[in-house]
Amino acid sequence: MTYFESYLTVGAFIALGALLVGVVLVLARALAPSNPSAEKLSTYECGVDPVGSGWSQTYVRYYLYGLLFVIFDIEAVFIFPWAIQLESLGMFGLIEMLVFIGILVLGLVYAIRKGVLRWE
Amino acid sequence: MTFEIDYLALAPELVVAGTIIAALLLDLFLTRSKKYWVAVLSVVGVAGGLVPIVYMLAEGGTRSMFDGSYVVDEFALILKIVFLVSGYLVLLMSVSYIEADRYYQGEYYFLLLSSILGSLVMSSSRDLIVLFIGLELTTGPLFLLAGWRKGDAKSNEASLKFFILGVLSTAILLYGMSLLFGLTGSVEFTAIAAAIPDLVSEPALALSVLFLIVGFAFKASAVPFHFWAPDTYEGAPTPVAAYLSVNSKAAGFVAMLIVMYTALPGISEVWAPALWVLAALSMTVGNLSALRQGNIVRLLAYSSIAQAGFMLVPFAAAAVAGSDLAQAFSATVVYLVIYALMNLGAFAVVIAGARRTGSGDIDDWAGLGQKDPVLGLLTALFFLSLAGIPPLAGWYAKFVMFASVIEAGGISTLVLAAIAAVNSVIAFYYYARVIKAVWLDTPSEELLARPGREYAGSIKLTLAISMGLTIAIGIYPTFATYFGEASRVIATGGG
Repeated sequence: MTYFESYLTVGAFIALGALLVGVVLVLARALAPSNPSAEKLSTYECGVDPVGSGWSQTYVRYYLYGLLFVIFDIEAVFIFPWAIQLESLGMFGLIEMLVFIGILVLGLVYAIRKGVLRWE
Repeated sequence: MTFEIDYLALAPELVVAGTIIAALLLDLFLTRSKKYWVAVLSVVGVAGGLVPIVYMLAEGGTRSMFDGSYVVDEFALILKIVFLVSGYLVLLMSVSYIEADRYYQGEYYFLLLSSILGSLVMSSSRDLIVLFIGLELTTGPLFLLAGWRKGDAKSNEASLKFFILGVLSTAILLYGMSLLFGLTGSVEFTAIAAAIPDLVSEPALALSVLFLIVGFAFKASAVPFHFWAPDTYEGAPTPVAAYLSVNSKAAGFVAMLIVMYTALPGISEVWAPALWVLAALSMTVGNLSALRQGNIVRLLAYSSIAQAGFMLVPFAAAAVAGSDLAQAFSATVVYLVIYALMNLGAFAVVIAGARRTGSGDIDDWAGLGQKDPVLGLLTALFFLSLAGIPPLAGWYAKFVMFASVIEAGGISTLVLAAIAAVNSVIAFYYYARVIKAVWLDTPSEELLARPGREYAGSIKLTLAISMGLTIAIGIYPTFATYFGEASRVIATGGG
């Protein structure tokens, strides 16, 4: 039965995956020197001493701004290759890009109308 | 790479996409009391998407674009009709529900339409990337929609569970796709199918196929990947639960079948047993769990898991037996069409019944038939149809399923048929329990005292359409057979 062979390989993959995790954990425990200090046990925050607790609150508007920024950032990813190939893509490419930007602008209009950019 | 675009072939998607943009804009400039115009626009837009599909079906032929990555054949057109009609019914049943909830109405339709657009794209996809985009566009908006009643802790739970498991399944799916691409060097289904014979001895191939199945099974909520479904259905707004149980389930399901059928027929000995197990487990676990449910939405959730098992049966059986997959494909599509109609009808009954009784518990529905005979009759109609009693559409779905299994032949397929037969009987018990509560149990004082409110016109229309089609297909099944026969024409797109 061929499919039992195929599933045997799947089983081998699962066993190997589990084994790898186990080996790495054991190796880390066996090889790493354990020498804790207060400095090492504090929360890592890009090398700077952590300030306040992990539950500090962030103004929700930052999140909306961040989201808008990401949208327009991604837009650039599509516009750059288009700009490089502008001549070969021609009129068709131009119209396509205008449609694409138009839809993104609609997103901006939506955000403005919903008051996302009002900072009070 | 060619940039020839066949605008007629893309017309359904373009109409829906245009409706999405228009709905978003309309929502911005309407006052709160006029928001229902967004709903009207969405309903009209989805119906408009059907026009080019009917035209293309009448014309016949296959249209292929983008080097065969995007194919509009009869199979794709049939599925688009299924997705659009069920999306249409869900939109109709949403109108009064969402209006009563007073949350963001415009965005609701925007997100639901986006999901419908995703399923349209998915039906035409003949390469892994388009398939992935379509499938994610289908499920992405649903994470938000499941949590729509944001003041309700259950709705938040529904959304979070769905999101976390959905993302996990996406990751597994992508892993499988990346392995498949790495092995075959192509994302197009025809090219993958051509490369498979040289790779049969490759161990990672079996792994990638299983990853794909796991990813799709999550979306189709087949056992053992169904844990999110009952909680999500219960917490989500009921129309969204209806959408999840029909469109989103069908999308995952169809994606799995397209990939298996067009890209991986060469190694059916790997995926056929896996599908066999999925089908048997989904039917059995879904039905046995449904027996114990007191909440009607949870009951429908488990019943839809079991129905997904029934849907898998023809395909799994044909693949295990090594017989004609096209025959099984048409049986599955017939089942899908009928299931979509009767399940949406059942959910519309739940919405109406919850308004009438103020509860989702089956015990509280006792005596609903005396209070509201029409609703009681409809409850009986849709639940009997789900159970597969003639002359309602459900019997034909089951008939086609069993017929295709027996045609496939072989011991293991007969075992599967026996499991399906036992499960049909189990299912009848819990469907009948709802009907018994509605008709035979004595109504509570509280229910009789509740004021008899008029239903919204949109919910009546939903019930009327699904009722009409359920009865029509049951009496005249040739109509559904047409869908099945046409769906045999699944073009691989060429390369």
